[in-house]
Amino acid sequence: MISRPWYSPHRLVKALIGLLILVSALFPLAWMAMSGFKSKTEVLRSPFQFFPDVWNLQNYRDIFADPAFVRAMTVTFIGAVIFTILSLAVNAMAAYAFARLDFALKGFWWVYCITPMFIPAMAILLTSFVVVSKLGMLDTMAVLIIPGVAASAQMFFLRQFYLNMPVALEEAALIDGANRWQIFVRIFLPQSQGPFVVVGIASFLAYWNAYVWPVLVITNPDLTQIMQYIGNFRSDRGNDWGMLMAGSTLAALPTIALVLIFQRYIVNGVRISGMK
Amino acid sequence: MTTTDLGTTQAAEASVAVSTRGRRARQPRPTAAKHLRATGTAYLMIAPMAVLLGIFVIWPLIYSFYLSTFEISFYQGSKFVGLKFYRFVLTDPDFWHSLRVGLGYSAMVVPSILVLSLLLASFIKTLSRKAGALLKTGVYVPAVVSSVVASVIFLFIYQDEGLANWLVGLLGAGPIAWLNTAGSALPAVAVPGVWMGFGISTLIMLAGMLDIPESYYESAMLDGANWIQRTWYITIPSLKNVLLYLLVTSFVLTLQELQLPLIMTGGGPVEATNLPNLFIFNQFRDNTPFATSYSLTAALLLFFVLGAISLLMFKLISSQKSQDS
Repeated sequence: MISRPWYSPHRLVKALIGLLILVSALFPLAWMAMSGFKSKTEVLRSPFQFFPDVWNLQNYRDIFADPAFVRAMTVTFIGAVIFTILSLAVNAMAAYAFARLDFALKGFWWVYCITPMFIPAMAILLTSFVVVSKLGMLDTMAVLIIPGVAASAQMFFLRQFYLNMPVALEEAALIDGANRWQIFVRIFLPQSQGPFVVVGIASFLAYWNAYVWPVLVITNPDLTQIMQYIGNFRSDRGNDWGMLMAGSTLAALPTIALVLIFQRYIVNGVRISGMK
Repeated sequence: MTTTDLGTTQAAEASVAVSTRGRRARQPRPTAAKHLRATGTAYLMIAPMAVLLGIFVIWPLIYSFYLSTFEISFYQGSKFVGLKFYRFVLTDPDFWHSLRVGLGYSAMVVPSILVLSLLLASFIKTLSRKAGALLKTGVYVPAVVSSVVASVIFLFIYQDEGLANWLVGLLGAGPIAWLNTAGSALPAVAVPGVWMGFGISTLIMLAGMLDIPESYYESAMLDGANWIQRTWYITIPSLKNVLLYLLVTSFVLTLQELQLPLIMTGGGPVEATNLPNLFIFNQFRDNTPFATSYSLTAALLLFFVLGAISLLMFKLISSQKSQDS
């Protein structure tokens, strides 16, 4: 490629197109955040005006003053962290066994563990509800966390990564007398940062963004999840759009922050796993 | 995956499924020699996963099949009724209506996502490393936003005095009750569907494009091929597998969309946005007799179709790969 000076018209057009793409992709989110800063009279007003006339913090103050909102954010965050750690542990262990060990009936267990990837959530949603109610799990943190911990897609992803790790290290450790658990914990886990970030974020998002499952299994207001709070806001509190937009902005913030912090891993994650 | 919202794990699933195409990753290493045999340890390691999947996925699935062939009643014992419920669902016009709505929704969302991400990926490919990374992150952000939040944002935009009506006002049209008009409700729900879906497919397509040798494009440019010709004759044929993968997964995912119509319209107006999963979900919450069995049977029928499509796709992609090499 011939390098062009930065001010060439060609580059300018490209920069403009790029800017246009970014602005239109992010516009709905920006519009939500802005509407949170608008007063009741201003929030639904034609003609369109992006920035508020007066920057009004009242909506954000109101939403933080609602104990139900603060509780939902806290409870969901704690649940999402526990969920993420548990699913990393469960799925990485199985991934290691399938990638690196040979054992009786391996083929059967592989099909058993990977088939759930093809089962749509809806086909088992209703009977899962029956199962958890028979187990007496309704209205507990456990019912939000435990049923989704084992995730075939994530185990598959981690296995692909472990398959590509060099065997030499492992053999050396075996000769030194290390057992499988030591190899997994001391050699494989420290090398797993990249894939752990990718599947960890997927787990966190799955828990944080869940709506239908919490609606089915949680009726206790103390355990209301954040998306339940947002989804039920209009029926609980009426059409207070400014406050709802403020609440939605705060509810979306952790997920967006995660992506921005770990963007390098995510963008590379798709590349590495996909196309080598 | 009961608690897992399909849309949000799409990133991991996408990379997982695409990676089955990988040459290196296709088969377990031939290093599975004797010294790797460790049945006891391996069983301990897969036990948590196997047990959890057994309780929360496999057993519910078996239970679904059981309930779909038995008539459960509180007054008498349950009675085996064979395929009665299946016949009942398949002859129910409401079920077929929801399938048609679902297909209409997919027909709007899937092509939009594919065209949009092809254009975006082609553009991002030409950018410098830094600018490319910025854009990749930017288009990915909408994909991680919860569909509840997306529904709420677009509900707000579709209000009578909202942004959408201001826009059509500029074109001289009167305000539209977007979500309360049978003709506009489904497209109005499809817009956030596209908005949440295009980011991941752009990243996947871009990853595919980076594998196409630059020399193809260089020789085409020497021959004077313009961008459209290069896209049509080089990019699209080279991305055949990626495009097929994206086509099928987005089709399967959009046909299962539940949360957007659940929050935005509840299935109305006049059932215009009653997508299959919403139809099933609402049937389940109904208190009519046999609602559970009916909705389970409908869900299973959908599962057969979708499962068959996904399996077919995985077969197709891996068989093509083996032909290539």
